[in-house]
Amino acid sequence: MTVSAATAIASAEPTSVLSVRHLAKSFGGLRAINDVSFDVAPDKITAMIGPNGAGKTTVFNLVTNILSKDAGQVLFFGRDLSKMSAVKIASSGLIRTFQSARVFPGMTAIENVMVGGHRLASHSLASQALWLKRARGEESRLRRRAEEMLELVGLATFRDTHATELPMGAQKLLEVIRALMAQPKLLCLDEPAAGLNDSETRELAKLLRAIRALGIPILLVEHNMPLVMNVADAVVVIESGAMIARGTPAMIQNDARVIEAYLGRHDHAAS
Amino acid sequence: MLEFLQICIGGLVVGSIYAAIALGFSLVYRVTGAINLSQGGFALFAAMIGYTLSVTAGFPLWLAIPLAVAATAAVGIAIGAFTFAPALDRLSNANVLMLTAGLLTGIEGFSLIVWGSQPYATPTFSGEEPLAFGPIRVPTQAFWVFGATALCIGALWFLIARTRLGKALRACAENPHAAGLMGINVPRMTLLSFGLATLIAAIAGVIVAPTTSLQFDTGRLFTISGFVAAAIGGIASFPGAVAGGLFLGLATQLSTAYISSLFSTAIALLVLLAVLIFRPSGLVGSGASRRQDTRDEVKVTGHAARLPTRLAVPLAALALLTAVLVPLVVTDNGILSGLVIAGILFMTLMGLDVLMGYAGQVSLGQAGFMAIGGYTSGYLSINYELSPALSIFGGIGVSLLCALVLSVVTLRLRGLYLALATLAFGLLVDSCAVGFLDITGGPSGLVGIPSFSVGGFQFGTPRAMYYVVLVLDVIILVGLVGAMRSGFGRALKAIRSDQMAAAALGINIVRYKLAAFMISVTLASVAGSLYAFFFNFLSPEMVGTGRSLELVAMLIVGGESTLVGGLFGALLLTLLPTVFQPLAIYKTFASGVLLVASFLYLPQGIFGAIVQMTLRMLRPPRVAPRESPPEASARASR
Repeated sequence: MTVSAATAIASAEPTSVLSVRHLAKSFGGLRAINDVSFDVAPDKITAMIGPNGAGKTTVFNLVTNILSKDAGQVLFFGRDLSKMSAVKIASSGLIRTFQSARVFPGMTAIENVMVGGHRLASHSLASQALWLKRARGEESRLRRRAEEMLELVGLATFRDTHATELPMGAQKLLEVIRALMAQPKLLCLDEPAAGLNDSETRELAKLLRAIRALGIPILLVEHNMPLVMNVADAVVVIESGAMIARGTPAMIQNDARVIEAYLGRHDHAAS
Repeated sequence: MLEFLQICIGGLVVGSIYAAIALGFSLVYRVTGAINLSQGGFALFAAMIGYTLSVTAGFPLWLAIPLAVAATAAVGIAIGAFTFAPALDRLSNANVLMLTAGLLTGIEGFSLIVWGSQPYATPTFSGEEPLAFGPIRVPTQAFWVFGATALCIGALWFLIARTRLGKALRACAENPHAAGLMGINVPRMTLLSFGLATLIAAIAGVIVAPTTSLQFDTGRLFTISGFVAAAIGGIASFPGAVAGGLFLGLATQLSTAYISSLFSTAIALLVLLAVLIFRPSGLVGSGASRRQDTRDEVKVTGHAARLPTRLAVPLAALALLTAVLVPLVVTDNGILSGLVIAGILFMTLMGLDVLMGYAGQVSLGQAGFMAIGGYTSGYLSINYELSPALSIFGGIGVSLLCALVLSVVTLRLRGLYLALATLAFGLLVDSCAVGFLDITGGPSGLVGIPSFSVGGFQFGTPRAMYYVVLVLDVIILVGLVGAMRSGFGRALKAIRSDQMAAAALGINIVRYKLAAFMISVTLASVAGSLYAFFFNFLSPEMVGTGRSLELVAMLIVGGESTLVGGLFGALLLTLLPTVFQPLAIYKTFASGVLLVASFLYLPQGIFGAIVQMTLRMLRPPRVAPRESPPEASARASR
């Protein structure tokens, strides 16, 4: 382990699930992300907010290695994620969703949710092909859990509907419970409330709290301030690729720089 | 040196034609994002009409040739308007490609019906006497070829770069949605590009006809050469298409002259595979690569038909019982043979369905693995007197080895490049089957393959073979149904529809794709071996590219991602021509037309239609009012 890695671990909060240190990324000459550091604590919902184009999704993609970072470090339970493929990252328990609901077309709602359980399934191809009892048992356990999940978010009546025929809000919820099926050690949600109406957003908030109650920490990238203020335990504010504040929702709401970033400078607004 | 120059001129003549057809590929690809495999068919069609008008009807050439070109272009635009243009809106690009393969097969079949299978030689435009430049003699037709190709290239360049219409075409190439919003009639541009490609192909066809002999299936060679040329040069680039065409022409002619005529295609294909590995965008890198997000892969195929379990089990039992009893009732050996062939092909189709229907990996070279399996086990059982049952495993081993090598290429590719690589592989196997005379018996085939036997028991009659195939098919089907309804099938379907989302859930894409590929290869190989044992004979055309395209047609016509669908396609296209012998000549035509029609009108195939009909019959419209209201209200409340 390098010296910088050692210091990064030493400086990380000892109990953090995910610790991001000095993350940086440039696209051509543009510094998209500059020195972003934050932690995700266990059993907590950590929200990352910021105005449009601030770089939230870029941070997200850097953390999950869809983009490669220029500098900095991402540790997940102390493991460096930078050399790991998307599949490895998912197998280690960090499960993410996508900004645009990416349900699998051509599959029903319940099948979609069951795909989420793939990470934990141990049945082999041979045991499935031979219709062995343990493979079938695992299959029906998976199906039962998927049904429970659908029940949890009120989508049980849609279990055999094709996923792409569901309304947008339902697709978003479906994607979240699909991720939940993988029993993540950290759930990363990329703007789950985008495209949802108010009642669907309330449904989502309920779901997020329920997930936290299960002991699964959440990293939430979100635009919807009421939702964030409502459910988040900690908030990280990003503007123009740099982190400008972090703290509890109450602290953030009264932070002068955050208010400035969202509403503009007071004298500008007045004139 | 003289000889070398002479060969080069020949190469440039052939290359010009490849270049013209490659230009058509490039044009359609740039405007629509899809590949149009039907062009070679139109080239042949034009040449044949030209022959009929000039030789049979006695029209003068100056009238016959333009008429043939005009007629072909008109037919092409009509076909394009009813098939290609509507398909682009509904199907994924991979499926559009297969639809155009169906068009190609259809044209091929039509030519077979009208012109038969004998070769034709059309008269040259301006005499047989070649022009002499010192010691080098150039046939006059070469000048026609060079002139026409240059004219096509020039006219196309002018149209694209200098006219308003060209600007509209380019806008469609950049982003069809935005072009539509700007008031450009995108479907019309699509049709225009299809028509232009047909026109170019038609011109190429009539001009090249005198330099070669034509047969109903020569069109396939035009298509494949043009496609390969376009891919080598860079499919999104016009200069690339021309350079690729000339290169391919030179390479094949030179290797025919200096190495062996048997391996000339093999060399071109190896070049292609190398290009696909190292420079997938082609040798003349394309500045104008297509944006993949604007049109590609948005239209993922619809929902596969599935019977509810309470119906599936009794129906499957009934079907099995019927299958067991058929040979006791049917005594005609011809029909039984047809059933055996259908059963053998069904084995390949189940594998192809896992690969294409579930994992979404296009394969246009599946018969190549039938060939490897068949030839390997045939060779082993003839020369080493290995028992047929054991030699099947030998075939599987060699097939899997080849598949592993091929997967180095295919695992990185998607969509049209994957289609191209598999097509090239099939052709490569084909040309090896022709070329390795000592092992395969060459074009005339491998003779003296023993019948299938296990432990001294001979399965020599069609009836005995029927039961062998039935037992194997049932075992394979049950196993695959088990796998496809469980996690394995779900993972494949997830990969098919969204790779990135699948990876984010921890699905190892490479491993699953490879597994699906290996399953399909194993089944194709076993089927190929059984095929060889059943006929006691195997020739390259029995397991060539025509067979690969036919397999795709059977799968689509029967119903994709259903596993059993392939059986319907195989029965339809194998049994009907066997039972009604006079229909045999229509078989190629029918398989092409059925493929196109299924894509457009029966996307779930015959099996899907049967399932839907069964479900509709069993669900009388307003008989159970108590069940529907709560569901409806639950739906409304959401």
